[in-house]
Amino acid sequence: MNAARRPAMASFGFAGFVPLIACFVMVIFMMLPLGTGAANIAMPNLALISVFYWLSSRPILMPYGACAVLGFLLDLWLDVPMGLNMILLLLTRLFVLNQLKHYKGRSRLVHWVIFAVLSLGLYLLSWLLISLVYGTMLPPEPLALQWVITVFSYAPVGFVLGRLRRAAM
Amino acid sequence: MLVAIALLAFEWIGSGVPHQIRAYANDFVAPVLRVLEQPIRAVQAGLERIAGVSDIYLENETLRDENDRLRQWREAAMQLSRENERLRGMLKVPGREVPPAATTRVIGVGGGAFERSVLIGAGSSDDVKRGSPVVDETGVVGRVIQVGRWTSRVLLLTDINSRVPVRLERTGDLAIAEGQNESLLRLRFLPQGVQVKVGDRLLTSGHGGAFPPDLPVARVVDVVDDFILLEPLGLLGKLDYVRVMAYQPVPEEVIQPEAPAGGEE
Repeated sequence: MNAARRPAMASFGFAGFVPLIACFVMVIFMMLPLGTGAANIAMPNLALISVFYWLSSRPILMPYGACAVLGFLLDLWLDVPMGLNMILLLLTRLFVLNQLKHYKGRSRLVHWVIFAVLSLGLYLLSWLLISLVYGTMLPPEPLALQWVITVFSYAPVGFVLGRLRRAAM
Repeated sequence: MLVAIALLAFEWIGSGVPHQIRAYANDFVAPVLRVLEQPIRAVQAGLERIAGVSDIYLENETLRDENDRLRQWREAAMQLSRENERLRGMLKVPGREVPPAATTRVIGVGGGAFERSVLIGAGSSDDVKRGSPVVDETGVVGRVIQVGRWTSRVLLLTDINSRVPVRLERTGDLAIAEGQNESLLRLRFLPQGVQVKVGDRLLTSGHGGAFPPDLPVARVVDVVDDFILLEPLGLLGKLDYVRVMAYQPVPEEVIQPEAPAGGEE
């Protein structure tokens, strides 16, 4: 009975928490002053890349609760409206769980393209939501730039996460 | 998902998470950021050193010349300062010097593509207060918007919510330097007919009481009709150490008599 109540992550031991820890580290990395100022835009959305990667490879280890907590911390630490990143990461999980059957086992290039399309939709949504909260249409250029950087960063970050996955699981 | 939508709705109606909770949340992550930034700073410093080795001789020559010039300026400045002090004393005008509350390092960035803010390693334990102006060695950087115990968040001049009352140094005309969430600021509400030139400097006017007067803010880089773009003088692209000024915002009605309308200074 108790075992049935335990989260799936716990049944894998420490390895079960690797995705969550990796995503948490990515959240912290997004706050580092790598160049400062410009880095606000030039910093890829490492948390989104990491959550998508783990959901595509080990969805059971990245439950809704974990996505919500990561989103909450991102909102709190990046000082963006609360709920924004929570919604984005939860939608990412919803999307992956519904579409994974179509691209599971396909090449990395396919994963990359799917990530690009998904993140474009999420960035558009975040632009609309943030404009709604601020009560003014924000210039879309910085967001478009960050989307491009995030998409191009998917391959190297995915490579690092892949090495971590092979080493830990 | 419902919780997330509810939180966003609260932000929309303006009753989101209080600033203080966000500020204390930053205190929790600050020690991790401090540890992680060490190797990054070391790598950045190493790369800058490697890049600088090739022109070190030329730079040395330039610095010697500059040093000679600065010595002369220093003498002149000290003489003027003494004279200024004496005159202020005679006229009973209070001094304008603002002491620093804290000098600290930028330990984190925030906002993603939506906001231009940085996290600094000084908080209420260092006498940092909400609204305090923040400067670096070249100009105004922004102002403190959240104060935790050991960290504070600084809203940069480039943020879309940033508005700084400024004065055109050459003519004394008043205007507002507005952030656009991009690297350049926009100059707005300048009186009609004022001729602005590329290269003109803008200083804080002191109006509104948020910033002390005469701090360097930005330089004009582009003028197309009424669309005037400014480049911040503070090195917002590579902030390292910043100074939080121990300046208490003053109500406007107290400042108004001291700062007459533009063009008279």
